[in-house]
Amino acid sequence: MAIRKVGVIGAGVMGAGIAAQISNAGIPVVLLDRAGKQGTASLAEQAIGKLLKSKPAAFMSRRNARLITPGILDEDLERLSDADWIIEAVSEDLALKHSIYRQIAGIRKRGAMVSSNTSTIPLTALVKGLPRSFKQNFLITHFFNPPRYMRLLEVVSGDKTSARGLEQVLNFADQALGKGVVRCKDTPGFIANRIGGFWLQCALLEALELGLTVEEADAVCGRPMGFPKTGVFGLMDLIGLDLMPRILDSLCSLLPAGDALHAIRDIPPLLSGMIEGGYTGRKGKGGFYRLKISAEGRHKEAVDLRSGEYRRPEKPRLESLRAAKAGLRALVEHPDRGGLYASRVLLRTLAYTASLATEIAGNIATIDQAMRLGYNWRHGPFELIDRLDSEWLVGQLEQEGMAIPPALADAAKKGGFYRKEGGVRQYLGANGGYHKSTRAGGISTLSDAKLEAKPVAANAGARLWDIGDGVLCLEFCSKMNSLDPDILGMLVQTVTELPKSHRALVIHNESTNFSVGANLGLLLFASNIAAWSEVEGLVKAGQDAYSALKYAPFPVVGAPSGMALGGGCELLLHCDAVQAHSETYMGLVETGVGLVPAWGGCKELLGRMACNPRRPRGPMPPVQGAFEPIAEARVSTSAAEAQEGGFLGPRDRISMNPERLLADAKALALSLASNYSPPEPFAFQLPGPSGQAALELAIQGFHRRGLATEHDVRVAGKLAWVLSGGDHGGPCSEEQLLALERTAFVELARHPDTIARVEYMLENGKPLRN
Amino acid sequence: MADYRAPLTDMQYLFREMLPWKLLHEFPGYQDLDADLADAVLKEGARFSEEVLAPINRSGDEEGCRLEEGRVHTPSGFPEAYQSYARGGWPAINCDPEHGGQGLPRTLSFLLEEMVCGANLSFGIYQLLTQGAYHAINIHGSEALKSTYLEPLASGRWAGTMCLTEPQSGTDLGLLRSRAIPMDQGGYRLTGSKIFISAGDHDLTENIIHLVLARTPDAPAGVRGISLFVVPRLRLNEDGSPGADNGVTCSAIEHKMGIRASSTCVLDFEDAEAELLGELHGGLRGMFTMMNLARLSVGVQGIGLAGAAYHAAVGYARERLQGRDLRGPRFPEQAADPLMVHPDIRRMLLTMRAWTEGGRALVLRVAAELDCSLQHPDPERRRDSHEFVSLMTPIVKSLCTDIGFDVANLAVQIYGGHGYIRENGVEQYVRDARITQIYEGANGIQALDLVGRKLPEHTGRNLRHFFHPLQSDLESWQKIPELQSLVEPLAKAFGRLQRATGQLALKGLQDPVQAAAPASEYLRLFGLVAIGQSWAQMAASCLEPESRSNPAFRQAKLDTAEFYMRHILPQSSSLFASIMAGADALEAFDEDAY
Repeated sequence: MAIRKVGVIGAGVMGAGIAAQISNAGIPVVLLDRAGKQGTASLAEQAIGKLLKSKPAAFMSRRNARLITPGILDEDLERLSDADWIIEAVSEDLALKHSIYRQIAGIRKRGAMVSSNTSTIPLTALVKGLPRSFKQNFLITHFFNPPRYMRLLEVVSGDKTSARGLEQVLNFADQALGKGVVRCKDTPGFIANRIGGFWLQCALLEALELGLTVEEADAVCGRPMGFPKTGVFGLMDLIGLDLMPRILDSLCSLLPAGDALHAIRDIPPLLSGMIEGGYTGRKGKGGFYRLKISAEGRHKEAVDLRSGEYRRPEKPRLESLRAAKAGLRALVEHPDRGGLYASRVLLRTLAYTASLATEIAGNIATIDQAMRLGYNWRHGPFELIDRLDSEWLVGQLEQEGMAIPPALADAAKKGGFYRKEGGVRQYLGANGGYHKSTRAGGISTLSDAKLEAKPVAANAGARLWDIGDGVLCLEFCSKMNSLDPDILGMLVQTVTELPKSHRALVIHNESTNFSVGANLGLLLFASNIAAWSEVEGLVKAGQDAYSALKYAPFPVVGAPSGMALGGGCELLLHCDAVQAHSETYMGLVETGVGLVPAWGGCKELLGRMACNPRRPRGPMPPVQGAFEPIAEARVSTSAAEAQEGGFLGPRDRISMNPERLLADAKALALSLASNYSPPEPFAFQLPGPSGQAALELAIQGFHRRGLATEHDVRVAGKLAWVLSGGDHGGPCSEEQLLALERTAFVELARHPDTIARVEYMLENGKPLRN
Repeated sequence: MADYRAPLTDMQYLFREMLPWKLLHEFPGYQDLDADLADAVLKEGARFSEEVLAPINRSGDEEGCRLEEGRVHTPSGFPEAYQSYARGGWPAINCDPEHGGQGLPRTLSFLLEEMVCGANLSFGIYQLLTQGAYHAINIHGSEALKSTYLEPLASGRWAGTMCLTEPQSGTDLGLLRSRAIPMDQGGYRLTGSKIFISAGDHDLTENIIHLVLARTPDAPAGVRGISLFVVPRLRLNEDGSPGADNGVTCSAIEHKMGIRASSTCVLDFEDAEAELLGELHGGLRGMFTMMNLARLSVGVQGIGLAGAAYHAAVGYARERLQGRDLRGPRFPEQAADPLMVHPDIRRMLLTMRAWTEGGRALVLRVAAELDCSLQHPDPERRRDSHEFVSLMTPIVKSLCTDIGFDVANLAVQIYGGHGYIRENGVEQYVRDARITQIYEGANGIQALDLVGRKLPEHTGRNLRHFFHPLQSDLESWQKIPELQSLVEPLAKAFGRLQRATGQLALKGLQDPVQAAAPASEYLRLFGLVAIGQSWAQMAASCLEPESRSNPAFRQAKLDTAEFYMRHILPQSSSLFASIMAGADALEAFDEDAY
């Protein structure tokens, strides 16, 4: 029985967010909560309205809101009678939850699964007193906020939970919702919040004790340690300062008396004072940081931890931060207060985690995964221990007079929590042996492939991996995956070499962003030395490589996740098909830096617009259709939106779970490989100068209203010139359109305003409006 | 003996016709500046150099400095010359009127420096260091420091030094050991030993102001822990006049290959009273203010010596009769023809001339941008100029000092055996020029500065200020038929420079050794193209109908430009080949096999 309809009870931030993510999977949801105050919409209706406005967006496509049916719990309970899964997401009030479970038990269809989104209450307490049949279909599914973006789903099942029902929910969460499912033991706070809560509180107290500034603490307890770059204070601002005492209270009320969390649970007066004053973080009047808007403009401020007053930000200057470049050990061993801070926070957090190794999860790999997915740690706690060296850590704990958790002692004896054996990564189990992680079927990542073998080919920008069944995977490894001559060279080499031994190509990588576009640094440097023929050469090389890819005698599937901008987007447009992660942000953003897409982006988008049967006939509509997204440098906020905007086409597919992306892409590539023949080139029919004039008219309008700068007008004019077919119009081949792209690009690249934009983008990471 | 004649005609031409006058007039205080005023200053500078400084150049070299009872005595005539130099107001030429200076632009003071150093490099060094100290205190000093030190420095009553080097710490300043201990009553006490201190002690002025790099007790290791201090040789009385000894002693002076009249000292500081200049631990910045200016000045020294050597060689080649013109005797009534008739002598002379005048024009261009970077009212324009100067500084320093040495060396060659004889004076130019390639950052260090810092900064933005104007110059010159023979080779060399620059940037990103190995050759290629641009600019100006220079002068410029493009600029081709060959052959050689 597949899950075709879901019910969510409780339309708070979590319940509504969960409903939205289920709608993102294309599944209808019923969202129930109380009626609104007299004369207002129901709480569920209000929640949908908020979802539509939320930032970052909860919906991958605004249309998905229509999949959510709002209702009132007491009146519309019947609507859940055909739901396959009912999620309770009301407040952490056991009595309330019980009363809801009784209501559900009465109407749910036979076998329908019920789960609670509780973050702290153990399952045994939740199901106490409920009938056996209910227990059989009950589990805990703990989502993280915001549910669309946080991949962790903690799952706790009871001993009565039916295996089939459980599997259904797990499969659905994994494949349809894209979650990283982590099975937890039934303990308070499960895994992530138990460790995360300890970590945050510990980091807060140590910073106060050692007299660090918030900037210093965040600079240390952030990126250098593989924690989110916001650091702990920045993170508390994000999640809400008032949440900290609530998490600690509820955890401590359930944890056994000996738990180390009790010793550090007291909320420092500074924090309680801020909460009382309404300084609860970004949602409140400000947090440890705030944006001060004064007569001099907007500037950031930070709290002085001693006085509690806001002050101008102070750039952290710590020797230990410089030392951290040499690795984590260099940071924690540094004698300054930054090093001391890092070492105290890590030692305590890691010792606490190691002491829980067997208590909260089936194995340590699970715990690491939970912290990576739930708190965005780059490395899980046990991976951190291995990076520090477990033997060294034992020595440190002994020096501090702290107890050595048995799991840690065992790891120190055996040489670490993880090892690589025969191309497979194994973790150290509670029984003292090493084991291979088991994962849901169908998950196979590039990391797995990379553990097993050496690349088929490699250079400084790209590597080629054999992922089995006659398929190769091209991975970028340049800085931020920016596209450079090395990558283009590898593409060209792949087109000639691949057919000798393989059948299909997948282009994929596991970075946060698929590719941020062409290497602007190269372009800027060439521009600075007035090497215009090199600039044109760079453009031509990209066009040639992408064309070679498009007409290669084998299918090419792009498998992006994160940003695919500029040249990265153009690359995907040249693929036979794209298997996109649902969180794919595509766009041709070249105009932002004063350029036009010139690696075939104009050509391909125009071609797609022309092929769209829903567009009106005639030469102008496709030109118009391609012009707008490029001129506005529009970036889709999801793969679904890319589909609506025409960047993804009818052959392209979406994977919700990034860990399934590669396997899905490979399957798609193989399905195209039998009887493959390359696509026919586009033959354009373009309007010429009259079309250009029409587009320019619109731009001039923007300019007059102050919405477009002079350079915007110049760039858009060039874009219009390319898309409408240059000086003549009429029939236009792909080669001719590529030549137009080149001419426009080089002409714009020479303009000082474009050079200023490119430079600004490189130095500041955001566009310059000149 | 070679006499010295300042290259006044060339300087006047450059000042009159090659300066961006419109730009200079935009600066506050420069509205009244014109070529006539400059002419008068240059003429007076030339007279002083020729009549006062040149006559004590060789005698100073023979006599050298003496260390007696802890004090250095400069050679005969130096103290008197210095008095008259100070009386003439020369030390203050580009100082602020607020401190008694004349506020004249760098463009002018560099030309004056060239004359001074061409006439007597040893003398020039004393005034260069005083200038450096003046500007460092003016830019980084507190109001108190400024009011104490700037007027006496500008007036020439006091002199300055920069004390960096220690026995164990030369190019690598991170190894510095001198200590400055903060005092309870304020100020510091400085203790340490410095070597190679030019003008470290002498009898030219009543006091000497040392700018000293040292560490405070709690300073971090390496260059980030260095601070800059002001340490007067004599402590100052309440009224600011020099008083008791301040614990600075000169324990030895060096015996050198050249610049023998310049005192090069070992200075020992013992509990010397010191004041912090600029930010604590920010000493390197203050020192670099001085050093960057000083590096340009050292380039000027190279051109000065080259000009002196060229003048001597031309005189000798006209007078000395040896052999006959290969096409038959030119002066049958004489026993032999002058050296000048021989092609190889002419080759050497033209090479010397093309380098010297080209280098001078390049220096002036950089000086104009330096003025702009200091004075222009628009901050963006100042930034652009500053970036151009910062790019060109290592090139000017390195290339122009190479020019100084090479040209002096050719002068000796033209003199033949007589050039090797001390009495004839040209061998001194070679010995004096040799140090300019070493001090203020050896020329190899300049090349590393160029490729390691100036090239990559802001993804090559410094380069834009050189490459874009040259590109548009080339485009406009291509429309002038008379310039074709010059523009074509220049455009080719420019293309080589572009490709070499791209290659270095790309390779250097992946492996710094790949950029460092060909750095010196790259700097030379850059310099060749830059001087080529200066020659094309001069040729273009000589073709202007309204040019005020006389026809023979203009023709000589055009002919020298032609020579440069045909016979010197082609070196760019071999440099390019070597640069593109990368570091492999250098690295392949086994270190044990040396």
